Amino acid sequence: MSRFKLALRLLWRDTRSGELTALLCALIIAVASSTAIAVFSDRLQLTMTTQTAEFIAADLAVASPDAMPGAWRAKAAQLQLSQAQTVEFSSVLIEHDELLLASVKAVSSRYPLRGFLKTADGDMVTETIAHQGPETGAVWVDKRVLSALKLQLGDTLNVGEKTLTIQRIITYEPDKQGNYYSFSPRIMINDGDLQATGIIQPGSHVHYVFQFIGTSPALAAFSDWLKPQLTAAQRLLDIHKDRPELGSALDRTQRYLGLSSMLVVIISGVAIAMAARRYSERHFDSTALLRCLGCRQRDLLWLFVSQFIVLGLIASCIGGVFGWFAQQGLFLLLKDLLPQQLAAPSILSLGFGFIIALTALLGFALPPLLRLKQVSPLRVLRRDLAPLPGSAWLSYGLALTVIGLLLWQYTGDLDMTATLLGMGAATVLALGMVLSALLDAAGKWLPLLGLRWRFGVQGLTRDRPAAVSQILAFSITMVAMILSFTVHNDVIRNWQQQLPEKAPNHFALNIFPDQLDAFRQTLEQQQISGSRFYPVTRGRLTAINNTPVQQAASKDSSGELAIHRELSLTWAQQLPDENKITAGSWWLSERPGRVSVEQKLAESLHIKVGDRLTFTVTSRQFQADVTSIRSLRWDTMKPNFYMVFSPGTLDGYPSTYLTSFYLAPEQKNLLNTLVKQYPGITVMEVEQILHQIKTILTHTTQAVNYLLYFAIMAGIAVLYAAVYASLDSRIYESALMRALGANRGLLRSAHIIEFSLLGGLSGVLAVIISEALLYALYSRVIDIAYHPNFYLWLLVPLAGALSVALTGCWGLRGVLDKAPLCVLREL
Amino acid sequence: MTSDGTLHILSSIDLIIKSGESIAVIGESGSGKSTLIGLLAGLDTPSSGTIRLNGQSLTRMDEDGRAAVRNALVGFVFQSFQLLPGLSALANVMLPLELAGDRQAKAAATALLHRVGLGQRLNHTPRQLSGGEQQRVALARAFVRQPAILFADEPTGNLDSKTGTHIIDLLFELNLENNTTLILVTHDPTLAARCGRTIRLDAGRII
Repeated sequence: MSRFKLALRLLWRDTRSGELTALLCALIIAVASSTAIAVFSDRLQLTMTTQTAEFIAADLAVASPDAMPGAWRAKAAQLQLSQAQTVEFSSVLIEHDELLLASVKAVSSRYPLRGFLKTADGDMVTETIAHQGPETGAVWVDKRVLSALKLQLGDTLNVGEKTLTIQRIITYEPDKQGNYYSFSPRIMINDGDLQATGIIQPGSHVHYVFQFIGTSPALAAFSDWLKPQLTAAQRLLDIHKDRPELGSALDRTQRYLGLSSMLVVIISGVAIAMAARRYSERHFDSTALLRCLGCRQRDLLWLFVSQFIVLGLIASCIGGVFGWFAQQGLFLLLKDLLPQQLAAPSILSLGFGFIIALTALLGFALPPLLRLKQVSPLRVLRRDLAPLPGSAWLSYGLALTVIGLLLWQYTGDLDMTATLLGMGAATVLALGMVLSALLDAAGKWLPLLGLRWRFGVQGLTRDRPAAVSQILAFSITMVAMILSFTVHNDVIRNWQQQLPEKAPNHFALNIFPDQLDAFRQTLEQQQISGSRFYPVTRGRLTAINNTPVQQAASKDSSGELAIHRELSLTWAQQLPDENKITAGSWWLSERPGRVSVEQKLAESLHIKVGDRLTFTVTSRQFQADVTSIRSLRWDTMKPNFYMVFSPGTLDGYPSTYLTSFYLAPEQKNLLNTLVKQYPGITVMEVEQILHQIKTILTHTTQAVNYLLYFAIMAGIAVLYAAVYASLDSRIYESALMRALGANRGLLRSAHIIEFSLLGGLSGVLAVIISEALLYALYSRVIDIAYHPNFYLWLLVPLAGALSVALTGCWGLRGVLDKAPLCVLREL
Repeated sequence: MTSDGTLHILSSIDLIIKSGESIAVIGESGSGKSTLIGLLAGLDTPSSGTIRLNGQSLTRMDEDGRAAVRNALVGFVFQSFQLLPGLSALANVMLPLELAGDRQAKAAATALLHRVGLGQRLNHTPRQLSGGEQQRVALARAFVRQPAILFADEPTGNLDSKTGTHIIDLLFELNLENNTTLILVTHDPTLAARCGRTIRLDAGRII
């Protein structure tokens, strides 16, 4: 206890004398930024998950072909879950001698549980938000229903045997599915009127969705209770499976947030290491004295470690408060973009910032502290007796491993963590050696340089290990910032490229082969740009290597979805746009009987190249060999297929064609013309989905922009800590040089040269490391095409030289005006 | 200034040192010896009063002016050697010559290091040298510009007596060879006795 008191006393003394300012600053920034990022990302993710819950209009939803069993209702009520239900089916509407196949949706009174509906007046100008569907006796319709059936608001519409009044035009429903089934124009009725329509008869094809909201534990309990009872035809809806285009956008955002938080932690760690090094070097004397007075090595270690733990706790509290306010500020800045109801942070995320900070503190500060243990008591007699440097690589390796593990836990992305840490560490190690050799060579050329340059370069070469570690520290910081910045830019550019201004916003399906040319011509005449026309045959995958497919898919896998419904099967001679072969090879000849499978489905059903798949189309069976696995992007808004066959495989089976195209708002009327001209063709609008994706992208782009500021803040901490870590020796040297007659102008230019070289060299290294990491990251993790960033080669070394020179000269500003004797005495 | 008010380290000092004189400054610890020679060497400035060196007023000059005077006229030997740790013995000795733009720096520094007996250790860094060797490098550095005046602040304070005696012998030899004015701070009465004049300081005053 008395030793702990001593530790506290020493800590207090150091804090008062300003010894700990740099370390404390670095720590507080580290804690503040890691807490802010952890809490911010956590809340953002939770908020976005809630927001994505809008897309299924609930927290949990079950799709079923049958009505909900009473036991489910009772269990949900027992768990105090709120419930709603939608029933969807197709029905032909007849008014004014016009026929229209509509998709009817009967909703219960509490629908939608999450999100809202939007409706418009007849003029389509004012949109109203509604939190409930139509009342009994009323019907809300798509605008197309009115024009197709020559109706107006206020008219009546017969739905089956029930006559309903058309009340509003429906413009948005949160859970409108983007799949190929919901393409018919929507009419929405109250489920109180459902029975009176008389449409649903035993055997009718009906799509029920049961929706629930409640507390997370109650939902989890309900989900656990429900899962074993689901029949093959029933399934839990999931944003990633049911809305793949949204799921992948969210996936990538989460990856980016994970990457940012990891990078800020690494930069903060570097700052801590730098500050701890200065702290340790300034304590050599007092440590030698303590040892002289009889302090044992392990007592010393305990003394300093306990001081650091207390310091860490204090910094964690202060940094935690700053971090909390920082993330509140972020949400405040983003309040127009995010939903009003923000999710509360989980305790885990608050703790995460804290744990990361303490781990980084001990992991990065330990090597310099361990050096203190090695201080010889003889130093009291010989001040120049410095302790041997500890095994820094081992200790830093340990710190990186611990952080890597924590981040892996947090991001759940072993690939990203391993890629960055592994390649980063190897590159840094190699470059450290190259750098050391480079400085060695520079030392040999010194006599050829002018005085200012010689002193400047000498500043780097005289203590090579220190210069190498400083350059590496700056490089790592700059690498982290470059990665944050570049990945952020590229991810956003990539998203924007995927969803260009004129991304297809309509799908045309069921185009019969004899209509194909005429339809294509109509589109061309109207100057509508579209994607390729893909032939489509509906069929089921029934067996893999003659084993029934049900045995291959687990209930939770995404493959389950694909085997319980008919798939759109297509064939192509060329690999479809934006598809990439990940295994096997694309066919070059037109031999039938081969199939290429989408990667995620293949993984989920354990399908490999060489497997033989059995399909059933219109009760006939055929087989195809898997010759390739493809990866594709579900968020391109172009037709995508799980199964693509070699030409000829599907000959003899009924097929229709499918395409997607962009229709400008002023061309909307063409839709009715198209529908009239080709009554059998179904046109599906996907504008709402596009709009939702774009909204999500805007939100997340804004958020990741703000995360960048944390990386910059941590970078400044490194700069500050690094310059201050070596300040004592620079102050000493410049005082001595002045005692020997050097004037301030000479020393100032030598400092500028030295710091600029330090920053510039770090910049060059940073660009080399970044390009290597970006290449690895893009090709292995994020899946974006890699392009070298030529502007970085100029910008980063320049920015590095400028910022390090400015900070360094600022740190030394007072020193050059102070009397040399004062400086020499102070040190 | 201290928290207890103004602290006068030196006061009422009136001292003239003639060219070629050797002076020992003695006194108890804290009597202001090091401050006095720091001021005389232009390493610090007094809060009041005037210091003239070779006819030039140090107190009227700015820091760069004093730096030029130090380079041209002054040599300094410190108690704790004050060698630049990253530089070799040769580079340390070359430094004052390089600052003056002397193109023969290497030859002159090498010759002087030979003179102090370190001809074999030119490329050793201070860490690789013993205390006595380091002080010999410091002596070579102090004399390499052939200064008009040499200040030595307890040059043997960090050395054992045998090494200390060697250093002092060397210092006086070099002083004689260069005809340098010498101002030496010491606690050692025998050493003080080797100087032409002794100044005793007590609580910041000459007694």
